[in-house]
Amino acid sequence: MERESVCVLGGGSTKYGKLDDSISDITLQASVGAIESAGIEPKEIEAGYISNVFGVADKQVHLGPVVMSNLGISECPSLSIESACGSGSVSFREAFANVAAGFYDAVLVTGTEKVTHTGTDWTTTYFSYCSDFFYEGQAGASFPGLFASMARAYLHEFNATEEDLASVAVKNHENGVLNPKAHLRKKISIDDVMNSAVVASPLKLYDCCPFSDGASSVILCNEKFAKEHSKDYVKVIGSGRGGSPAALQGREQLTTIPSTKIAAAAAYKMAGITAKDVDFAEVHDCFTVAEVVDSEDLGFFEKGTGATAARNGETKLNGSISINPSGGLKSKGHPIGATGVGQVVEVYEQLTGKSGERTVNDAKIGLTQNFGATGASCAVHVFESV
Amino acid sequence: MCLKVCKLSAKPEFIEAAKAGNILARKCTKCSEILLATVYYCRSCGSKEFEDTILKGTGKVVTYTIMTVPPAGFEELAPYAWVVMELDDSGIRVSGFLGKIPTPEDLPIETPVKITGFDERGIVLEKL
Ligand SMILES: [Zn+2]
Repeated sequence: MERESVCVLGGGSTKYGKLDDSISDITLQASVGAIESAGIEPKEIEAGYISNVFGVADKQVHLGPVVMSNLGISECPSLSIESACGSGSVSFREAFANVAAGFYDAVLVTGTEKVTHTGTDWTTTYFSYCSDFFYEGQAGASFPGLFASMARAYLHEFNATEEDLASVAVKNHENGVLNPKAHLRKKISIDDVMNSAVVASPLKLYDCCPFSDGASSVILCNEKFAKEHSKDYVKVIGSGRGGSPAALQGREQLTTIPSTKIAAAAAYKMAGITAKDVDFAEVHDCFTVAEVVDSEDLGFFEKGTGATAARNGETKLNGSISINPSGGLKSKGHPIGATGVGQVVEVYEQLTGKSGERTVNDAKIGLTQNFGATGASCAVHVFESV
Repeated sequence: MCLKVCKLSAKPEFIEAAKAGNILARKCTKCSEILLATVYYCRSCGSKEFEDTILKGTGKVVTYTIMTVPPAGFEELAPYAWVVMELDDSGIRVSGFLGKIPTPEDLPIETPVKITGFDERGIVLEKL
C-alpha cells in the first residue's frame, strides 16, 4: 500500500507539575501552542485526537468537542482515546494511520491529564484500576508495587544493584534541570534516592515518577501540507504497536516487556533502521527499573546489561545513546494521558533546534516508546529530521 | 467435572475454588495447554474446548513487593506483600495478597507459599 509521508509540523506543552487551571483549559493551552508553533490556522485542522485517562476526576470527559469549540472549529470531528499511561502514543498512532492513509491532510493530537488535586491516596487507587484488577489491584498491588516486583526479579536475575537503578533517576533529574517545563527541576544524588522513603520495596520514592498535571500537543500532517507551512518539521518514519499479557503473572519473564519488543520490531522495520541508528530516545521511565528494561527491549543494550550501562553513564545526555534528554517521566513528569504526546514534542524540538541546553548533538533520528500499565500495551515511533 | 465448552465467565467458580485453597484451571482438549479459568480461548491453539482442572494451591514465590504506600482499603494492612507465585505441578503463575511481611528477609524468592482463601483482598496467600 502506498502511504502518505507523515510529518510532525509543530508542538506545544504546558508546564508539567501541579497546575491550577482546569483540564479543559490546559488541553486548550497545549493545543494553541501546537497550532502557533506549526504556523497554521485552526480551520486547517481536519480532526482532533485527544488522549486522556482520568478526565472524570476533573469533571470533564468527552474533551474533544470542548477543545474544538474553544478553537473555533466546533464542526471538526474529534475523539478521546484511553490506554492508561500509553494513551498519548496510541492516540498519536491512530492519527498517524489516518494521515498516512490519506483520510486527512492535517490533524491535532493532544494528550492531557489533571489528577494532582485528588491527593496521593486516591491517585494511587485510580491508577491501580489500570492493572488487571482481578489479580493485581484487587489484591493490593499499586503501580509502584507492580514495577517493584519487576525490579526485584531484575535484581535477582542479573548483576545489578539498587544503586544502579538509582543512577537512572539521577541522570533524568540532571536532564530535567535543563528543561524549563519539567515538573521536578532539582539535581539529586544516588544517596538521595537510596535514603528516600520506601514506597514498595525495592523501589523508593525517588525511583518513582511523580503524579503530574499537564498537556502536550502536536500537529500531524502529510509532507505536502508541511512544506507549504514551515521548514521546521520532522518526518515520522516508523510506527509500531504491541501487546503483552495484561497481568504480570501471565508473562514467562518478568524482566522484559513483550509489547515493547513487538512495537520496536515493527517500527524499526517500517523505518528501515536498527537500534544502532537511533541517536536519542524518549522512553517510558515511570520507574527507574522501567527505563533499564526499556533500554534492553528497544535493543540499545544486551539483556541484563542495561543497569550497568546506566551506571556507567552511557545513557546520559550525549552519552553513547542519550535516553530521556527531556528528563523523562521521572523528572519532566508523568501526566499520564499527555506523556506519549509530550515525548513527540521533545523529539520535534530536538530535531528542529528548539531544545536549548538539553540538545543532543548532531541528532538525526529520535525514538519514542510509551506503554500502558506494566507494558500491557505499547507504541514505538521513529522520527527523522529533514 | 468436564465441560466441553467452558462457561464464558467462570469468576464465581474460580473464587469458590480459591476459597478452598485451589486454583480452577482449564486444560485444552486439543493441545493440553493449562490456563487459568478466567480465559476463554487457548493461547496456544485458539481452541475453546477445555476440561476444568483443579490445581492444588501450593507453590513458590517468583517475585513480590512489600507495599508500604498502599491503595485505598489496604491502609490498615501495610506492610504486606503482593506476590507472584508459581504453582508446584503445572508451572501456572497466580498473584495474590500475603499479609504481615515487614522486610524482604521475611520472604526470600522461592519461599514456599499456599493459597488460603479469596476475599476483598483477592487471592490470599500464606507462607507454608
Ligand atoms: Zn490449545
